[in-house]
Amino acid sequence: MFRKFSRIIPYLLTGLMFIGHSVLYAQQQMRYPRPEFETDYTYPEYQYIYQRSPVWEYIDVAVLIAALTLTSWLVLKKRWRQGIVWVSLFSLAYFGFYRQGCICAVGSVQNVSLALFNSDYSMPLVALLFFLLPLGFALFSGRVFCAGVCPLGAIQELTAFRQVKVNPKVEAVLGSIPFVYLGLAVLFSATGSQFIICRYDPFVGIFRLGAPYTMVIFGSLLLITGIFVNRPYCRYLCPYGVLLNIFSRFSYRHLSITPAECINCRRCEPSCPYGAINVSDKAGENELTVKPSTVRLLYPFLIIFIALSLGLIAYNTAPLLAGVNKNVMLAREIRLEKETGIKAESEAALAFRESATPEEELFAEELIVIKRFRAGAPLVGIFLGLSLGIGFYRRMTRLPRTEYEPDRGRCISCGKCFRYCPVKPN
Amino acid sequence: MNFTEKQISLFRTLSIIAGIFTMIIAFTMIMSLIQLKSSDPLSSPALVAVYEQFDRDPDNTVNAEYVRSLDLIARKAYFTARWQLEAGSYLLVIGAALFVLFRWLTYSNEPLIRTKLSPRPVLSENQNRNRRYLIISASAVVVLAVISSFILRPLMPDPGRTKSESVAAVSPKGGIPQPDEINFPFFRGAGSRGIAGGEGYPVNWNGNSGENIRWKIPVPKHGKSSPVIWRDKIFLTGSEGSDLEIYCIDKNTGNILWTGSGSDFPGASEEIPESDQEAGMAVPTPAVAEGVVCAIFGNGNLLAFDHDGKQLWATNLGVPEHMYGYSSSLLIWSDILIVQYDSDTRLAVMGFDLKTGKIKWETPRRGRAVNSSPVLASFDGIPQIIINGSPDVTAFEASTGKELWTIPGVKNDVAVSPGINKDYVYISANYEKLIAIKAGKNPVVAWEDNTYTPDVSSPAATDEFLFIADGTGGIACYDAAGSKILWENYFSEPFYASPVVADGKVYYLDRKGTMHIVKAAGSYELISQPELGEDADCTPAFSEKRIYIRGINNLYCISND
Repeated sequence: MFRKFSRIIPYLLTGLMFIGHSVLYAQQQMRYPRPEFETDYTYPEYQYIYQRSPVWEYIDVAVLIAALTLTSWLVLKKRWRQGIVWVSLFSLAYFGFYRQGCICAVGSVQNVSLALFNSDYSMPLVALLFFLLPLGFALFSGRVFCAGVCPLGAIQELTAFRQVKVNPKVEAVLGSIPFVYLGLAVLFSATGSQFIICRYDPFVGIFRLGAPYTMVIFGSLLLITGIFVNRPYCRYLCPYGVLLNIFSRFSYRHLSITPAECINCRRCEPSCPYGAINVSDKAGENELTVKPSTVRLLYPFLIIFIALSLGLIAYNTAPLLAGVNKNVMLAREIRLEKETGIKAESEAALAFRESATPEEELFAEELIVIKRFRAGAPLVGIFLGLSLGIGFYRRMTRLPRTEYEPDRGRCISCGKCFRYCPVKPN
Repeated sequence: MNFTEKQISLFRTLSIIAGIFTMIIAFTMIMSLIQLKSSDPLSSPALVAVYEQFDRDPDNTVNAEYVRSLDLIARKAYFTARWQLEAGSYLLVIGAALFVLFRWLTYSNEPLIRTKLSPRPVLSENQNRNRRYLIISASAVVVLAVISSFILRPLMPDPGRTKSESVAAVSPKGGIPQPDEINFPFFRGAGSRGIAGGEGYPVNWNGNSGENIRWKIPVPKHGKSSPVIWRDKIFLTGSEGSDLEIYCIDKNTGNILWTGSGSDFPGASEEIPESDQEAGMAVPTPAVAEGVVCAIFGNGNLLAFDHDGKQLWATNLGVPEHMYGYSSSLLIWSDILIVQYDSDTRLAVMGFDLKTGKIKWETPRRGRAVNSSPVLASFDGIPQIIINGSPDVTAFEASTGKELWTIPGVKNDVAVSPGINKDYVYISANYEKLIAIKAGKNPVVAWEDNTYTPDVSSPAATDEFLFIADGTGGIACYDAAGSKILWENYFSEPFYASPVVADGKVYYLDRKGTMHIVKAAGSYELISQPELGEDADCTPAFSEKRIYIRGINNLYCISND
C-alpha cells in the first residue's frame, strides 16, 4: 500500500507545506492594509524585529553538510533514486520555504565576487561556506548539490515528469547562457552595482510568497515549462551550475549509470531528461579522423583569439554595461537633463537635487565606476571566450566512447537513469 | 500506478481546464499589474482638482470633507486592486499546481522504455562539426571585436563631460585665456590679471579739450563696474536704487546698442541691501565670452544675455549681507561662469553653466566676507581660481570647484584681488602686508613686505615685476621673485583703479582721472600723465589700440586716431 502511493507522497507533503505556509501568510495579510482611524490614535513609532540567533546560521551549514553527505551516499553507494527525492524534498522544505531561499549557494557567488574586489565588504563565513561546500563535494562526488540539496532544483524536480528531447544544437546554444549570466553576475557584484542572481531568482517569490509579481509569474511559467523541458533554470540559467560543471569534471568519484560494466544495451538512452548521457559512438566508426598534426597545434591559438576578441568586445561595451550601476544611471539622467532639457524626474534624481551634491562629484563617481567596468569586463569576455573555445576543442579532440556514461559536467546526479539499467551490481 | 483509459482521459481534460484557468488568471494578473503600476490614485486629475480647490479655500469645511471622502475612495480602490492581485497570485499557483498534478497523472502510465531510439552518433562527423564551429566562432568573434572597436568606442561619451564641454574651445597654456589685442573680457582683462594684449595704445589725451578722445558718452546709470570688451562691443552695468541695467555699447561709435534689465525676471530681488550707498549695486564688473555676457548686482541678481540683448537666463543668489556691499566681479572659464559669493552669512565659490545658468558646482569657503575678485591662473597644469580671502588665500579647480590648496594670507578688510604671474600669487590688504606666495600643490610664502599695502587697487604682475598702487597715492615696482623694491613714487591722489600693463607700459589711473603712464621696467621712467577731466575709480579696458575709461559719469574712448 505504501509502495503504491509512495510516488505521490512527496507531492502531497509539498502541497501541505505550501498550504500551511499560505495559511500563515494569509493570516498576516488579513491585517493589511492597516485600518485608517478617524480618531487621534497614532501607531507606535518603533517596532522591534527580533533577529534570528547567529547559532542558526551554523545549524544551516550543518544541515547543508548533512544533506550533501547523505545525497552523496545515496548517489554513489545506495544508488536509490527515491531517497534522493526525499532529500530533495527536505531541502525544498528547509532551504526553500523555511529559510525562504536565502542564503543559497547560487547567490553566494556574488558575495564572493564582491568580497574579492571590494575591501570595504566583509563576507560572512556562512556565505563563504555555502559557496565552497557544494564545490568541495562536487570535486569529490559530482553535482550532488544539484541532485538533492539545491531548493531551486528541487522545486523544478517536482514538475519534471514529462520529457521533450531538446535538439542538441539548441541545447548547446541555450547551455551557454549560464556562462554569460555568471560572467555578468560576477562583474556587476564586483563593481558594487547589482546582485542580479538574487534579483532575478524566479523561485524565491514562491518560497516567500512575496516578490515582484513579474518574478512570481516567471517562476510559475518556468515550472510549467519544466514539465516538458526538465529543470530549465538549472540547464539554461543557473550561474552556479557553471562552477559545479567545471569542478565536477575533476571529481574523484561520480554517479555511474551502470553499477558494473556497461553492456551497451541502449536502455538508458531515453532516461536522462537533461541530455547528460554521453552515448557510446557508433560501433565500427570509432577511429579518430582528426589525426594529430601540426595544424591541430594551431587550434589552441584560435581559442586565444576567441578569448581576446571577446575580451575586447566586452571592453568596448563596458560603458553600456556600467549603466546598471545606480550612480551611472543617475549621472546619465542628470547629463541628459543638461544637454536636452528633459527633466530628470526619477526618485534618485530628485533626492540628488535636494542633497545639493555637486554634479561634478556625481560625474567623478560615474567615471570611477566605468573605469572599474573597463577593468573587469575584459576578464569576463576572456572567460567566455575560453569557455566557448575549450568546449569546441574538447568535442573536437575527444577520444572515442565505447560505453554509456554520464557527462561529468552536465550530469546533476539525479539518479533517474538507475532504474533503466538492467545490469546488476557484482 | 495504472489508470484506466477513462481515468487518463479525465485527467487529461482536467489538466487542460487547469491550464486554461491558469493562463486566464496569469493574463488577468498581468493586466491588473500594468494598471496598478500606471495609476497613481493620488495623482488622478479629479483628486488633483479637488486638492487645488481646497488649497484655494482651506477654511471651507465642505471642501475638506469632500477631499477626505474622495481621497479615501481612491485609496480603497487602490488597495482593493492590490488585494485582488495577491489573491490572483494564489489562484495562479493553485491552478499551476493542479495542471502539473493532472499532467503527471496523465503520463503516469507511459512505458519506461520507448521503442524508438535516436541514431548513434558518428565520432568523425562530430569532430569535424566542432572543428568547423571553432573556426567559424573565432572568425565571427574577431570581426565583431573589430567592428565594436570602431562603432562602440567613439559613441561612448566621456563621463562627466556634456556635449558642450566636449566641443568647448580650451585656451592654450593650461586652459587660461591669454591677453589678446581685441578682447578684454573680465575685470582687469583676460584671466583678471591686469595684463592687456596688443600695442600702440595712446599715451596722451585730454578729456577737457577732447584731445585723442574718440568719443565720450554719458553712462545712463551710476556704477563702479569696469568696462569689458568682446570684439566690437563694450559691456558695463549701472544702477539707480533697485533699478539695475546692463549696457551694450558699440566700441567704434559709442552708441548704446541695447540696455538689459538686471531686475526684470521671476525671482529677482528688488531689495537694496544695507551697504555703501555711494557705490550702488553696479559694482561687480561683468564677464563676457563668445555669445554671452553675464552680470551680477549687489542684491544677488545674476543674469546672462546674448550679445544682441536677449536674456538667456537669470537667477538670484540671495541678497548678500556685506558691510561694504557686494563687489566681486565675474569670471568665465571654458563654459563655466565663476561667481565668488561673499555674504556675512554665506561664503562660496560657484560654477554656473554659461548657457543654461544651472549650477554645476558650489564650494563653501571659510572666513569672512571680502571685496576682492577671483582671478584665473594655471599652476601644475591645472586651471584654477585664486581668491584672496580673509584669512586665507585659496585656489579652486576651475572645472570642478574642488579646493586645491590654501595658505594663510591677510585678515583685515580685503578688497585687493590677487596679482598673478607664472610662479607667484601676490595678495595684500590695507594696513597689513603684501605677500608673495609660491603657488602650486604645496604653496609657500616666498616673501612679505609691508611698505606698500594697497587697499582697493589690485597689483599687476609680469614674470619679472610686480606693480603696485596704493590708497595714499604711492606706486611701486617690486622684483617679482624677491621683496626688493626696484622703484617707487608718490602722487597726490589715491588709486582705486587697478594698474594695467600694456604695450610695455603700466597705466595707473588715480581717483581724479589722471593716468600716470610708467615704463614697465626695473627703473622708474614716467612717460606721461594725461587727464581724463573727470573722477574715475574703474579700471580701464584696452582693445585694438584704444583705451576705454569709465569716469564717474561718462565712458571715454581714447584713441590716437
